[in-house]
Amino acid sequence: MPRWLRSGRVIVGLVLVLGVVACALLAPWIAPHDPDEQNLLTTLLPAVWQPGGDAGYWLGTDGLGRDVLSRLFYGARVAMTVALAAAFGAMLFGCVLAYVAGYLGGWVDWVIGRTVDVWMSFPPVILALILMTGLGTGERNVILAIVLVDWTRFCRVLRSEVMVVARRDYVTAARLVGFSHWRTVTREIVPATIPLVVTMLSLEMGIAVVVEAILSFVGLGVRSDQIAWGQMIADGREAIFQAPWNLLAPVAAIFVTVAGFNMLGDGLRRSLDVRLVEGRE
Amino acid sequence: MSLLDARGLTVSTRLRGEILPVIRGLDLSLDEGSVLGLVGESGAGKSMIGRAIAQLMPPGFAVTAGSLAFAGESLVGMPPARRRALLGREIAFIPQEPLTALNPVLTILQQFAEHFAHIGVRSRRERRERVRGALASVHLDGVDDLLDRYPHQLSGGMCQRVLIAMAFASAPRLVVADEPTTALDVTIQARIMTLMAELQQASGTAVLFITHDLRLAREICRSIAVLYAGGVVERGPAEAVFARPTHPYTRSLQLANPALRGPRHALFTLPEQMPGLRALSRLPGCRFAPRCPVVSDDCTAQEPLLATAAHGSACLHPMRTMAITVSGRGAPARTASQGAVLLEVTGLSKRFGGGGMFRRPSALAVREASFSIAAGEFVAVVGESGSGKTTLGRLVMGLERSTAGRIVLAGQDVTAGREADRRHRVRSAQMVFQDPQSALNPRRRVGAIVTQAMEVGPDHADRAHRAQRALALMAEMGMSPEMVSRTPSQLSGGQRQRVNIARALCGVPRLLVADEIVSGLDVSVQAQMLNLLQRLRGELDFAMLFISHDLSVVRHLCDRVLVMYRGEIVEQGPTDEVFDAPRHEYTKSLLAAVPGERD
Repeated sequence: MPRWLRSGRVIVGLVLVLGVVACALLAPWIAPHDPDEQNLLTTLLPAVWQPGGDAGYWLGTDGLGRDVLSRLFYGARVAMTVALAAAFGAMLFGCVLAYVAGYLGGWVDWVIGRTVDVWMSFPPVILALILMTGLGTGERNVILAIVLVDWTRFCRVLRSEVMVVARRDYVTAARLVGFSHWRTVTREIVPATIPLVVTMLSLEMGIAVVVEAILSFVGLGVRSDQIAWGQMIADGREAIFQAPWNLLAPVAAIFVTVAGFNMLGDGLRRSLDVRLVEGRE
Repeated sequence: MSLLDARGLTVSTRLRGEILPVIRGLDLSLDEGSVLGLVGESGAGKSMIGRAIAQLMPPGFAVTAGSLAFAGESLVGMPPARRRALLGREIAFIPQEPLTALNPVLTILQQFAEHFAHIGVRSRRERRERVRGALASVHLDGVDDLLDRYPHQLSGGMCQRVLIAMAFASAPRLVVADEPTTALDVTIQARIMTLMAELQQASGTAVLFITHDLRLAREICRSIAVLYAGGVVERGPAEAVFARPTHPYTRSLQLANPALRGPRHALFTLPEQMPGLRALSRLPGCRFAPRCPVVSDDCTAQEPLLATAAHGSACLHPMRTMAITVSGRGAPARTASQGAVLLEVTGLSKRFGGGGMFRRPSALAVREASFSIAAGEFVAVVGESGSGKTTLGRLVMGLERSTAGRIVLAGQDVTAGREADRRHRVRSAQMVFQDPQSALNPRRRVGAIVTQAMEVGPDHADRAHRAQRALALMAEMGMSPEMVSRTPSQLSGGQRQRVNIARALCGVPRLLVADEIVSGLDVSVQAQMLNLLQRLRGELDFAMLFISHDLSVVRHLCDRVLVMYRGEIVEQGPTDEVFDAPRHEYTKSLLAAVPGERD
């Protein structure tokens, strides 16, 4: 068993994340109702264990009589799609620039570094909102907005790591035996930075889930006919006293997902980071 | 009664559930006012003894048996309050790294005054006076100016003087010096050693001098204890131990050191290296037996005890020691350059800094260097740190772009550093790096590392050919074939350096640039590497630019020598000529500073 699988954090994180992924994938089969099916006779039902709850609607219904649990499962689809796509996108964009900047140094590094500085000086949520206003709503645009806001996170952290690795003698040695720049980076530098990238990827997925929820909450996220946790929170706000689970269920879903990603990321960092591992053995 | 007294001292650590001794049954005694040299290679446990005296053991280590007493008082299990009272006042330490031992945010006066406050000097004015006196005693000029400086404004040698002044300031009864000069240049090292001897004699302090350098120990110590695998294997008066060693290990160390004067002798090498803690704890009988050149069957039967005589060793057959000799005379230096010119450097200069938005003053790292290397010739570059010798090597390899001058390598001008020049360099010159740890990619296997050059370029070859070449290289380096599937972290320091050399030799270059490749190694491993280089030279016929600060190694290995001082080549010529009749003042001072050569 690889070392990273022996960490408790990684296992708990993986279980949580895989659970959410399973809900998203299996939504059509495990959801008790069609998430868009309205039943205006049973609106704002409380959860099944509360007085007045209905056994057919475990977590109650919303203002239009739609099943909260089913919507939760379908909402996981948007959350996971955005989390995976946006995090990978930000990683690709940020990492490529980080490898270029950290390896080449000089003016290339200067230009990329200053761009990151300027980019990071915008408050990220406001930047995302502005982008969404410009791009218009939709799943693809949410992903694009997150990539455009968060690539700097990858770029800045990874750049410094690349600079450290690139200064090692074995990288020089690879150049001296005739490796091209491309080969030097892919064979000698990238493998050494993979643990960091994997860790940041996992953390970024958690961030992407939160950002997507924020955007959907203010109505600038996915299209209004798609089901997203942020929208559910916005809808549930009004009926918080009659049917609190309209609000609490999506909040809990976000909480569990983000906690899963964070634990996974933290566990991976602790078990993959050579410096931390060496300190312990 | 002796001042410091260790009886059967055992320090152990726990490694994966096993309790393993790092120091085993150590007997040691140091009299009031005398100087004892503790000599051993890395892993012998010599620093652990210093830490045991300070009772500052790293986590997981503890004294598990025996006693350690200072002036009749046991240091083991001493109450912390009492220990603090002793340390700094009665027992003082001189650390290995002077630059990291001083607090960077306090001035020299502040740190010193703190120390005097600790040892009970109350008045502010008196403290200041005492600091001035202490600094004057270590011959530091401009004391007043120095008091308000910060450590980073001083050189390593000056910092070490400050620390020595601090150690002797409280007139302690014992000073423990752990490799106090290892981090310093040879010329400064000599001055520091003289200074320590002077202070020791003036104050009558006892000194425990921990070092890896047998010759340095002989020079300043009255008696010597040689440490191997956590135990003393030989002890006695310095001259006697040196003249008539009675333990095979001492003798091997002696023969592994290249000489600076007199006839060159071939270097004696011990097989392998000191076994690990676990292997040692399972070894029956004498701990040195697996590597001993004069071992016999009875050696593994029982563990020899350290003889109680004034000069004695822990060996069953001390009389056999002197039978260990090396045959052969060492490689004869080639007197004149025999081959055609391989590398021709003319007027080469390198200026650092000076550009950018915030202009910093530029510095000439190399100033108009001109020299040539013939095919098959070994040329050394010597000089202290900051003399530009590393920059010179990097310029030759094209890792730095020169400011002025010309480099002609194997008939092609490669100064410009174009793509064609790079390809030409790859074929004709390779580099071996100083730190084998950082020079080997920890994620690749040895076989892949050594045949890296065959993955691309003109020597491109498929997997099967590469594997074959890797095995051939292993054999050439004297390593066993199964090493190809190891990762660098599974190798010892000496093995890593072999892999490092193997990688450079894979494409059979005509020039090897070697930057301090033996300086971080233990004496016995260093001897293995030097012998290996000489053998390879005979087989492969390559030239080498050998950058080093160790003059005896240079004399042993190289035909010609370039002496660098502040970026300039101040003297060059055949090794014997330069060493026997140095012309430049700097060369003379370098030669005079080598331990064992001073009067």
